Amino acid sequence: MGYVAVTAGEELVERAEQLFEKQRIDDDSDDIGVDQIEGQLGRLTAQAMSEGGLYAPRLAALAIKQAQGDTVEAAFLLRAYRSTLERFDETATADPAEIIASRRVSPAFKDVPGGQILGATKDYTQRLLDFDLADDDPEDPTAEWDLDDEGDPERLTNVTELLREEGLLHEPDEPMVDEPNDTTRESVTYPPERDEVLQELARGETGAVTALGYSALRGYGQVHPTLAEVRVGRLPVRIEHPYTGEEVTVTHTEVTESEAVVPVYEKREDPQFAFGYGLTFGRNERKAIGMTVLDASIQLDSDDEPAENAEFVLDTVDGMDSFGFIEHLKLPHYVTFQSILDRIRAIRERKGLSEGGRIETGEQLADPAVAGTSDDD
Amino acid sequence: MVDPHDRSDRFELIAACEGATLAQFANDVLEGDPPLSVRQEPRPQLLMQQVCDPVERRPFNLGEVLVTPAEVELEGTRGFAMVPGKGERAALSGAIVDAAVAAGHEETPAIVAALEDVAAREREQRRQDWAQSKHTAVEFETMEGQE
Repeated sequence: MGYVAVTAGEELVERAEQLFEKQRIDDDSDDIGVDQIEGQLGRLTAQAMSEGGLYAPRLAALAIKQAQGDTVEAAFLLRAYRSTLERFDETATADPAEIIASRRVSPAFKDVPGGQILGATKDYTQRLLDFDLADDDPEDPTAEWDLDDEGDPERLTNVTELLREEGLLHEPDEPMVDEPNDTTRESVTYPPERDEVLQELARGETGAVTALGYSALRGYGQVHPTLAEVRVGRLPVRIEHPYTGEEVTVTHTEVTESEAVVPVYEKREDPQFAFGYGLTFGRNERKAIGMTVLDASIQLDSDDEPAENAEFVLDTVDGMDSFGFIEHLKLPHYVTFQSILDRIRAIRERKGLSEGGRIETGEQLADPAVAGTSDDD
Repeated sequence: MVDPHDRSDRFELIAACEGATLAQFANDVLEGDPPLSVRQEPRPQLLMQQVCDPVERRPFNLGEVLVTPAEVELEGTRGFAMVPGKGERAALSGAIVDAAVAAGHEETPAIVAALEDVAAREREQRRQDWAQSKHTAVEFETMEGQE
């Protein structure tokens, strides 16, 4: 595809930007605060952080305000910001078993150790518009709860460990590695390592991860998992203290984790379960589950179905890549289009179809005689 | 039990402390104009959060976490702090507070008391969060054979 530089008045570009900003403030309501976005629109900030690959709740809220609610644009702003920063270090490797869970459900095991904890969710209620929310008069519906006798916080046993203890978990062949590849610094090469797959899926665009995961469930794939558990909670961020050398906790990131069991039948003498895994920043169960399906699908390493092809999946799910490529189509392509016009005119002329010598409308381009010539390119 | 006199514990409590509280203590410490040098300017930086994939038990990069670290030397004693997010003032104040406690500055009792309050608040918040979640614990019943 050919590109050519074009110029336009800088002032006009600024005016267009000013008009965009005016749209945000052009009504009679109060300016929405970054605190409000961070505090009340946690799903939006979670999505922006997850896709931006940067955990920074307040800046995510700022990015959402700036992007007027466009999460991919907000994620883009976060990635642009992170590209200006130095990296202090990698954290100590966290074990997901350390998650301080606020919600954990296991669709696979009814009597899971630690119990089924619904947490904050509307999964089991009807999706009806709540007109009371229009009144701007919030009340705490949990105000009357008696919370005195629930005991101290517990760490919940990871469900996969239960299967591992029974020998039902398919143990991987590859040896454990210490240092994962970082796809933000080195591009993925194919076939990718599993740690690269997980990193890329973790910052994939929510809709894309959901859609490709769904494709496998719809029959364009062989993976139809049972979820071992879905968890939402806080994961510690630890570094080695520069003076004491001890691991210390800087903060916690809110994460969503999903694990799926997938039967492995090819080892017929020893049938076991394979697993898919999903972990994302923030509360985003749909994406974590989609990631789980894609992780399990990619392990099949097949070109037969889109979701099982690592290159197809990883090249498609990155929101920044798709955002950039789709949106760049809006930029001037005058030379490209002129060359297409010239080619079509030449073909029409060669075939004696060129009466006026100009193609002026879309209807003419859709003429069957013209459309039929496109295969000659 | 966390101990604000312990450097590792103090680091965690400073990271969880309100920026305004840290700034107030830092101002109190600097009131006598003690010699202070900034060894590491407070600037937002990144930590790559690594997680162990429980399936293959190998680490992967989940994503980066925004933090602000700072390091100072106060009257010959070094202090280091790191706060979550973009918080230059809080990080610098935290490093001064860390150095002050390490040096046994006269503000130490007040700082230690404030950090103990932070620890208590964190414990209570965690207990309350857990209690809320436990309030939604459910036992699913299968309905096999029921029409």
